[in-house]
Amino acid sequence: MMRALRLLNGPHDLGHGAIFWSGMAVLAAAFLAYPAIASAFTATNTAYYLLNIPMALGLSLLWGYGGVLSFGQVAFFGIAGYAYGIVAGNLQDVAWGTPIAVVAALVAAGITAAVFGYFVFFGRVAAWIVPILTLVLALLLSTFLGLTAGYEWAVGQVQLGGYNGMTGIPALQVGGLTFQDYPFYYLVVGVTAVAYLALRVWVNAHRGQVLLAVREDALRTELLGYDVRLEQLRAFVIAAVLAGVSGVLYVQWGNYITPSSMGLQQAALPVIWVAVGGRDSLLAVVISTFLLNQLSYALSSAGNQSALVIIGALLVAVMMFAPDGIVVGIARARWWRRRARARAAEGAHGD
Amino acid sequence: MATEPGDVVLRAERLSKRFGGVVAADRIDFALRRGEMRCVIGPNGAGKSTFFSLLCGIQRPDSGRVFLKGRDVTSLPAFRRVRMGLGLTFQTNRAFHALTVAENLETARRAGGTGGDDVHFRAAHEAFGLGPAAGLAARELPHHQLQWLEICMALRRGPDVLLLDEPTAGMSPGETMFTAEVLQALAKDGLAVVVVEHDVAFVRRIAESVTVLHQGAVFAEGPIEVVTQREDVRRIYLGRGREAA
Repeated sequence: MMRALRLLNGPHDLGHGAIFWSGMAVLAAAFLAYPAIASAFTATNTAYYLLNIPMALGLSLLWGYGGVLSFGQVAFFGIAGYAYGIVAGNLQDVAWGTPIAVVAALVAAGITAAVFGYFVFFGRVAAWIVPILTLVLALLLSTFLGLTAGYEWAVGQVQLGGYNGMTGIPALQVGGLTFQDYPFYYLVVGVTAVAYLALRVWVNAHRGQVLLAVREDALRTELLGYDVRLEQLRAFVIAAVLAGVSGVLYVQWGNYITPSSMGLQQAALPVIWVAVGGRDSLLAVVISTFLLNQLSYALSSAGNQSALVIIGALLVAVMMFAPDGIVVGIARARWWRRRARARAAEGAHGD
Repeated sequence: MATEPGDVVLRAERLSKRFGGVVAADRIDFALRRGEMRCVIGPNGAGKSTFFSLLCGIQRPDSGRVFLKGRDVTSLPAFRRVRMGLGLTFQTNRAFHALTVAENLETARRAGGTGGDDVHFRAAHEAFGLGPAAGLAARELPHHQLQWLEICMALRRGPDVLLLDEPTAGMSPGETMFTAEVLQALAKDGLAVVVVEHDVAFVRRIAESVTVLHQGAVFAEGPIEVVTQREDVRRIYLGRGREAA
C-alpha cells in the first residue's frame, strides 16, 4: 500500500507533493458534488467529455512513454463498442448480460491488439511504419463495417447496420442499477480516475521505467537483457484495452455506434488530444482531452462546421510553438524558473 | 553454468559478414578465456565495430558461429545472449538520460535471465564512486561518470564476459588511466573482458594480449609487446594516411 502511494507520487508525471494531491482531492470532490447543481442532461454531457480520457491515457502510455505512435486507437475503441453491442444485445434476457458484455468487449480489444501487435513488434517493423499500419487497421474495420448493411449482416439477434451503425445498444446494468444519467456520470468519473491513478503507478513502477528506457534507446534496453518486442507489445495491449474502455463508455452514452467512429477523422483525434496536452505526461493528457472534447462539442453544437479544422489548427500551432504540449510546456517553464531561483539562492536554503 | 579459470567463455569461429561489396568481417577466429583482458585494435574501418556487433548479436553473420560458455548462440537475439552472461557498453554514451542513476542501475538489475554473482559490479560501483549520485538524473552526470555508469550497468547482473566498445572515448588522460586500473582489477578477479579500442596508449596500459584486425580479418594476435613491435602491424597503422590519399 505504501509502495503504491510512493509510486503514485513518483517522478514520471507532473504534479507531486501535498499541495498537488490536496488540489486533486478538491477537484475529485467537485466532480462528485457536481450532479447536485447539474441536470442529468448536463451531467451526461460532462461524462461525454470525460469518456475519451482512458483512450487518450492509453495513447499517452504507448506514444509518450513508450515512443510508439499508434494512429489507430479508434480501432480498439470501435471493436470494444461493437463487441459490447453484440454481446449485450444477445444476452438481453440474461441477468448479468451487460457486465459480461463489458468483459467480452475489453477481451476482444485486447486480443485483437495482441495478435496485431505480435506481428508488428515481433516482426520488428520499423517505428515509422507503426502509425500507418494501425491507421490502416482502423480504416479497414471502418470500411468493412460500413458494408454490413442488410439483414444478412447480423450476429445472433443484433444487426451490424452498415453505415448507419448499430443502434439500441443496452445500457450497463448491475443488479437493479442501470447506468444512465447520474449513475452513468459517476461511472465515467470513477473509471477515468481509476485509469489515471493506475497508469500513474504503472509508469513509476519497474515496467514503466523499462518502457521509458525503450523509448530512450531500444537497442540499449535490449542489450541490458530486455525483450524490447515484449515490452512494446505489453504497452500496446494496455493502450488498446484502455481504448476499449472508452468505446464501452461511449456506447453507454449514445446507445449506438457507427463505422465512422473508426474513420479517418476520429482516428486523428486521440493523437491531437495527447499531443496538445503533452504526450509524456498523463496529467497533461487528462486535462487536454477533457477540454478539447468540450471545445469540439461546443463548436459543433453551435452549428460550426469547421470544428475539426479548428482543432487541427490547434495541433499545428502547438507543434510549432510548444512541441512538448501546452500543459507540459507551462509546467516545465515554471520548473526551470524555480530551479533558476533556487540556483541563485544557492547554499542559503535546503531544497 | 560455472566456468573455471582458464576456460574459454567466448569463442568465434570463422565469422564473416559482407555489406554489399565490402567484407566487414572475414573468417575471424577468436577465443577469450576467463580472467583474460583482450584488446581488439585496428585502424579505422578495420571491422572492429562489425566484429563487436556480431559478437553481441546486433548483427547476424553471413557465415561462421559464436559460442558463449560453450553454447552456440549464433542464432540467438542479442537480449538472450545478454541474459546468458554477456555484458556490454557502446562507443557512444547510451545510459537512459530520463532516468536517475539509481533507476538506470535498477533497470539493468531487473532485466531477465540468470543473474550471476554481482561481486564485479559492487567493486566497480565502489571504485567509480557512483553512490552519491544515485538520485541524479543521468543527463546531469558529467561525461566520464556517464561512461562509468554504463560499465556498472553492464556489470549489474554479473556477466561472465564484458564487451566494451571504446570505453574511455572523450575522457581526460587521468580518467582514462583510472578506468584502466578498475578494468584490470575486474579481470584479475576472474572477469573476461574484451575492449575494442583504437587508442594505443590505453591499450598498452591495460592489455596483456591484443587481436589486430585489418580489412575485416585477424591480422595479428598475441602478447602486446610482441605484436606492437611487428613491422607489418606498424605499417597498417602508419599506412592509413597513404591509403586515404
